[in-house]
Amino acid sequence: MEVSHSVKERTIAENSLVILLQGLHGHVTTVDLRDESTATGRVTNVDAFMNVRLAEVSFTDRQGTVSRLDELFVTGRNVRYVHIPDEVDIRATIERQLQAIHRVRYFGGRDKGRREFPRAKHK
Amino acid sequence: AMSFLKRFPPPAEGVRHQQPDTEAVLAGRTPGAGTLYIAESRLSWLENSGVGFSLDYPTISLHAVSRDLNAYPWEHLYVMVNAKFEEEETKEAPMAEGEEEEEDSDDDVEPIAEFRFVPSDKSALEAMFSAMCECQALHPDPDDEDSDNDYEGEEYDVEAHELEQGDIPSFYTYEEGLSHLTAEGQATLERLEGMLAQSVSSQYNMAGVRTEDSIREFEDGMEVDIAPVVAGQFEDAEVDH
Repeated sequence: MEVSHSVKERTIAENSLVILLQGLHGHVTTVDLRDESTATGRVTNVDAFMNVRLAEVSFTDRQGTVSRLDELFVTGRNVRYVHIPDEVDIRATIERQLQAIHRVRYFGGRDKGRREFPRAKHK
Repeated sequence: AMSFLKRFPPPAEGVRHQQPDTEAVLAGRTPGAGTLYIAESRLSWLENSGVGFSLDYPTISLHAVSRDLNAYPWEHLYVMVNAKFEEEETKEAPMAEGEEEEEDSDDDVEPIAEFRFVPSDKSALEAMFSAMCECQALHPDPDDEDSDNDYEGEEYDVEAHELEQGDIPSFYTYEEGLSHLTAEGQATLERLEGMLAQSVSSQYNMAGVRTEDSIREFEDGMEVDIAPVVAGQFEDAEVDH
């Protein structure tokens, strides 16, 4: 189970749908980029800023040319859409990721140990 | 000539990876062999003559390792940049075949520039890729209005909160914790790791435990007076984490 080592990133993930993308590690998925190109590959990492790292990628550039890339890193800013594979149970994935974060956070017991950012600020 | 080249000293700080003997290719043209510096502040490439260029991470949309020789004849680090790198002579000089910028007339399309960094040492591509991932992650998008990532300020100061809590243990994950170690903490860590290393090498001789294998080892007459383990011996111990 991949959980970020950073307090801030765990907090961001917990409060956004990035947490779903982080549950896609190991799955093959297609990422549509902002410039209309697409990349299909196995998710190896998604961080709190939605930077996506894929392996064994089939990349189709905006002209339609296809090439293979061993590894690809797309910045969050340039991700337009991440396809969720059909076999992924979205709710179960989110719950699993939240549990992983809580295991890290509440290591010393519910009210002991490190108190991370309890609630997001709401504007 | 590639007019965007300028002279500058190589980065001195935060260089995560440096790859000498690397060609930089833009739109099929290469200024020659040089060194790629993957530093935390920016990505720089310097020709051996001392001129080169830098790319800022926020302008980089993606980077990749390409080993597909059908797509490009050499294994390389591919970097796509959201910017135009134009040569001043473009209008006068004839365009070489295949280098026409089809997007010139289309104002809606974002400019992109594709760089390929071809190291003579192909096995370095993994390290180059990873170093770039790390540096890229240090530059999250400041214009990101969609997400409510407003976790700065008072409430976020976890450390200050912890200091008030006296004896409550603080739990760090590995990477965060290492940087918080004092000199004493570092010495303790080293001592503990040394002890672990020793115990791994003599795994049948755990203190207080005599396994079947260790009994065999001691049959040379050297009796070691160790209490045999009784199943459930420690069941009533109080575990206090």
